[in-house]
Amino acid sequence: MVKILFVFMSLILAVPAYAADGNELLEQVDRNLNPESYESYKKLINIEPDGSRKEFVLFTVKKGKDKVAAMFISPASEKGRSTLRLDENMWLYIPNVGKPIRITSLQSVVGGVFNNADILRLDYTSEYNVEQVEENGDEYLLHLKAKTNTVAYDKLKMWVNRDNMLPSKIESLTEDLMLIKTLYFKEIKDFGGGIVRPSVIETDSPLYKDYKSVMIFAKIKEKKFNDEVFTLTFMPNMDSLR
Amino acid sequence: MRLLILFVFMIVLFPRLIFAESEYIFDLDEIEKKPYSFGGYVEARPVFLGFDKDAVLHKLKLYDQDEGDIGQEYNAALQIDGSYEKGIAKLYTKINADIQQSYLGWSDKTSIFEGYLSVKPSSSFSINVGKKTLKWGKGYAWTPAAFVDRTKNPDDPELALEGFISLSADYIKSFSGPLKTVSFTPAVIPVYDDINDDFGETDHVNFAGKLYLLLYDTDIDFMVLAGGSKTTRFGFDFSRNITTNFEIHGEFAFINNFEKKFINSAGDTFIKEYDANSYLFGIRYLTKLDTTFIVEYYHNGTGFNDGEIEDYFSFINTAYAAYASSGNDSGLRKALNLTEGNYGRINPMKDYLYARVSQKEPFNILYFTPSLTGIFNVNDKSFSLSPEFLYTGITNLELRLKTSFLIGESDSEYGEKQNDYRAEFRVRYYF
Repeated sequence: MVKILFVFMSLILAVPAYAADGNELLEQVDRNLNPESYESYKKLINIEPDGSRKEFVLFTVKKGKDKVAAMFISPASEKGRSTLRLDENMWLYIPNVGKPIRITSLQSVVGGVFNNADILRLDYTSEYNVEQVEENGDEYLLHLKAKTNTVAYDKLKMWVNRDNMLPSKIESLTEDLMLIKTLYFKEIKDFGGGIVRPSVIETDSPLYKDYKSVMIFAKIKEKKFNDEVFTLTFMPNMDSLR
Repeated sequence: MRLLILFVFMIVLFPRLIFAESEYIFDLDEIEKKPYSFGGYVEARPVFLGFDKDAVLHKLKLYDQDEGDIGQEYNAALQIDGSYEKGIAKLYTKINADIQQSYLGWSDKTSIFEGYLSVKPSSSFSINVGKKTLKWGKGYAWTPAAFVDRTKNPDDPELALEGFISLSADYIKSFSGPLKTVSFTPAVIPVYDDINDDFGETDHVNFAGKLYLLLYDTDIDFMVLAGGSKTTRFGFDFSRNITTNFEIHGEFAFINNFEKKFINSAGDTFIKEYDANSYLFGIRYLTKLDTTFIVEYYHNGTGFNDGEIEDYFSFINTAYAAYASSGNDSGLRKALNLTEGNYGRINPMKDYLYARVSQKEPFNILYFTPSLTGIFNVNDKSFSLSPEFLYTGITNLELRLKTSFLIGESDSEYGEKQNDYRAEFRVRYYF
């Protein structure tokens, strides 16, 4: 009887212990992907089924767990547009229109497969809890659940390399496990300052058959910013941070 | 040798295989920051108008023209913006030049939309002096609380607007807790014969201010304008996401001692002074199918009521009959004078509803956005309906086809516009 009780208790306690480890793993993934506060440049490429491409270059800054902002450097038609995310609040500033307008995480300021939540990505730990960890050979498979219903994707499946604790693939899913898109992390590169991470993220989606979007990273650098940088009033002035 | 031949053969036939890594090269020259920048766009915009010869505003504006049933306009525009940055200072200018050939002949206009010096000693403080658009308000189609900006055109709310010459500053402070941000923007707007003379009454120095709060995830602004060129006015706006795909916003403006000039059907003019309240409520909603709905209700406290607008139309009809019978256009000229900046304002009546539905990339056609916009005059039940197709698939090239149908009974705002429909094709190339 005592044995049965022991096994039963072990099973009950095993799940939260595993979940806690999972969140620690996710924290490691976050920190390996980028410092908590940093600046970087991203090139987004949307590739259509016929091979034609459209490219966007953004300058991105992030502070802490919930503040991120980005400004378009090119193409000329988008130059000067900036986006700001404070937790789940998002705004888009278009120089001609003037005042920043609120946008949503599921929209996309660039079109294509990447949406605003992908472009203005916060730390995974700020939006998700790890519900389950599977160990498959040299990889962990983390099952992530959104902390709130305001997060763009309800669930994520994240494959993490056990050697470098970097993700190799992420599937974004709805609550009922319908696949929205898959991110593939590629070409690990040393950016200096101890930042070694994938420099390319490819994504495809069953919702955009035969389309592909790619995000390429450059000049990721740890940097501190004042909180005032992450405000609507500052959005037109983002270029002064470069 | 065989290996070399094989290598060359592979390069020629399968270049991507050999240079697979180079497919995603990110050239650092693309992100190098220069102290100066230069950009803008060039635009061609032919427009076709289907005239309504029985409409009151057709009689008023084209009474001495014989332009036929369909009018044509050929518009070209060049907008250039440039900046130079050194240390904490930045010079910025935006110049707009328009040229038009239409049924009214040739016309052109070149304006400095913006031209100012900005000094930014820190990320929390900046001072700007020169011509600048301050861009207040939260409304998409209308911004009744944007006291220091020119009036938006709800038919094309994203057009760049000309600024006013001002001295302004921004002070920003961030906090942790429910109040995340406070920023304060004071502005001084001088109005003299050669400076900002279209802002309002001349020989005044006006003071304006905006206090912005991000409180409980809600954007909140309080605005004020005083100084004499316009009567004192106070404003308030807010914007908040209820869910990630559902935003609400609103604006309120209190205008002290507003003077409304109006005319009766006999041509006598009156001035009525009263405190006017204007307000706007709106939503922006995104569905799972990427359809965006923007809906706004606008009450224009400075607008004309049904009786006042009918009197105005009645006077024009009488003046036109006099012109037709005697050739005397003095009545029409009087009406034209009163139309300028008054009855001729964009949406001059009291209550309006704006609704826009746009579908992003339907049928997986990337960068293609069709939309339908309706502007409804709630008072007289007239409206405009504008289908639009936008394609931005070619880098830096924007193609927009837009048509508008104006529908309404006689003596209604859209029923008495000079045209029944309008079609325009805009080609814009950014550089």
